[in-house]
Amino acid sequence: MKNKTKPWVRVMQYGILIIAVVFAFYPVWFAFLASGRLGDRLYTLNLGGMFIPTQWTFENYRVMLFERPFLTWMTNSLKVASITTIASLVVCTSAAFALSRFRFKGREFFLVFLLAISTFPGLLSLVAIAQLLTALGLYGKHLGLILAYTSGTLVFSTWNLKGYFDTIPIDLEESAMLDGAGPVQAFLLIALPLAKPALAVTAILGFMAGWGDFVFASVLVPAPDSMKFVVPALYSLANSMSVPWGYFAAGAVIVIIPTIIVYLSMNRYFEGGLTLGGVKG
Amino acid sequence: MSGWLGRRKWITITLFLLPTIIAILVFNVYPILLNTYISFTNRNKFRPNPDCSVTMTGILDPLCWPKFRDNAPKGLGSPYVLQDPIFGNYDTLMGKLFKPEALLSLLFVALVFIPIIAANYFSKKQERKIDKKITSGMVWILGLLTAVALFFVLNLPRSINELMATGDFLTVVFRTILFVALRVPITFGIGLMLALILNSENLPGRTFFRVVLFIPWGASSVAILMALVWQFLFRQQGTINQVIAFFGGTGPIWLNNPVLAFGVVVLADIWFSYPFFMVSILGALQSIPKELYEAAEVDGANWWTRLSRITMPLIRPAVLPAAVLTSITAFQMFGTAFAITNGGPVRGASVPGATEFVMVYAYKQIFQQQNYGTATAFAVLIFIMLFVATLYSLRVTRITKGAYD
Repeated sequence: MKNKTKPWVRVMQYGILIIAVVFAFYPVWFAFLASGRLGDRLYTLNLGGMFIPTQWTFENYRVMLFERPFLTWMTNSLKVASITTIASLVVCTSAAFALSRFRFKGREFFLVFLLAISTFPGLLSLVAIAQLLTALGLYGKHLGLILAYTSGTLVFSTWNLKGYFDTIPIDLEESAMLDGAGPVQAFLLIALPLAKPALAVTAILGFMAGWGDFVFASVLVPAPDSMKFVVPALYSLANSMSVPWGYFAAGAVIVIIPTIIVYLSMNRYFEGGLTLGGVKG
Repeated sequence: MSGWLGRRKWITITLFLLPTIIAILVFNVYPILLNTYISFTNRNKFRPNPDCSVTMTGILDPLCWPKFRDNAPKGLGSPYVLQDPIFGNYDTLMGKLFKPEALLSLLFVALVFIPIIAANYFSKKQERKIDKKITSGMVWILGLLTAVALFFVLNLPRSINELMATGDFLTVVFRTILFVALRVPITFGIGLMLALILNSENLPGRTFFRVVLFIPWGASSVAILMALVWQFLFRQQGTINQVIAFFGGTGPIWLNNPVLAFGVVVLADIWFSYPFFMVSILGALQSIPKELYEAAEVDGANWWTRLSRITMPLIRPAVLPAAVLTSITAFQMFGTAFAITNGGPVRGASVPGATEFVMVYAYKQIFQQQNYGTATAFAVLIFIMLFVATLYSLRVTRITKGAYD
């Protein structure tokens, strides 16, 4: 609009924005403050310490990093989430390629079938999956969890990638095929490089699903400590009475801050409007 | 695509789809089948083992397959058998619903929704008419007033209590629906408000606000850890109560009071989910041509008219799918309630707590009570509900539109 915004409107806008910023930022800030607080108290009794750092120590970080198997948990989580991401990308790209580039009988059925199947919530199929993994001898092993995660991300990733492949004009590939490339080769050389943004978003969302998961990780790999993953391990750390909360806060900050940064750097992709990405949140 | 035809094409398609098909069959379809089967048995912590001589068990339970028998845990306990009567687990969950009094209560609850549905229908009809003797707003107000009147005339709280007494299923589902009904509209309101402000041009510091307000979404991928932080904020000595104490009051014990605990869970979940709405509305707003607003301003349209006549109708196609999908995800919310209240506060033994939503209930039944039979029956019922909801949402949002051509 050309005319200038009235001053009282501006003031109101900023009022709302500032309240929203406090709401959005305070919980993260609180975790950060608690992670640097001395002793085993999560709270200080002076109110100021709840909002600004009145005391600061790296003791909690030191304990978490060097005296607890925290780095092992991080490595385990990173390992499982990365392998899941790669496996799911390979499987889903190939399925999305077939669904996007070929017309065949049963294609529509397959696409809708995928969506219908995915309405069965993962948590509820855990009894069956745990039993299946027990039978396969994979219960309590990382490989079992990777298999469960990978199949859990399939539907979303396949739909997402297929949707993006559909927007890439097929003419480019057809001209490559005139020059003698097969459909697969043409797809790999021409269409896949163009689909990098979609591949990146799918990869990161798939990674985050494994990275932040609590239910599957805590049920399918319940013990021992050295096999655990960072999110469920921190959760049980926070719930055990004997452990200072500062340790939990320090661990949580190490996990949460990079996660937030990854999401912030993805911001512009999200705004492009992943239709099915709406499944998250 | 041109290229290969005939058999070669089919081989390619099969090869490329095979990994997905196998994964879906093994980790999605098969668990659903096994889950449905277990829901008809009395499997629980005292009867965890399969009895492989029963034909169906022998076929469906993986521990009975010859190759895997060695991997079966050699635990104590007796084998599970089919329930007698076969719908036993479903009966414990919602059997009392089919008594006349409960059905009457259900009818009363349904009656209250009729004026709202009617209002929706007639307001759309009114919109199409050229001379609007009654505005669609009036129709809505009339419909809502009738609904509220019916609510009191039929004494709905009593009917709801009666329905809640029929078993865990309706109790849990009612609470979850209440949660969704509170959480989604509030989230939408906050998202819309922030998006409208952030969309106004020459707002100094716009990028900063956009980045900071986006933070909770990032945190939501490790939801369970952030939910614990929310729990700390609302503990008896938490920040909130300290602030209240600073102003001379005494804060309540938030998480011990059913209503307050419910509110805390809703608030925390709003924190996780409003950025999603904000971002999708912001994207939709930016695609509205500025000329529309300029033209409206020339015609003397005020702020409200512009919002209700230009903005809302134009962002509808983008926001509606987001709203429907969010409702389905909110229905399946687990981490927030589990970390903050663990389903509590609980009134008595074997009664679901005030924040024991669908997934929390299922989790506790499976992993704390080990009532596999009941839990799997519950899963089947929830699956049917979600399946219908998803089919409906596909129709409303047309997400699959254009996917087939």
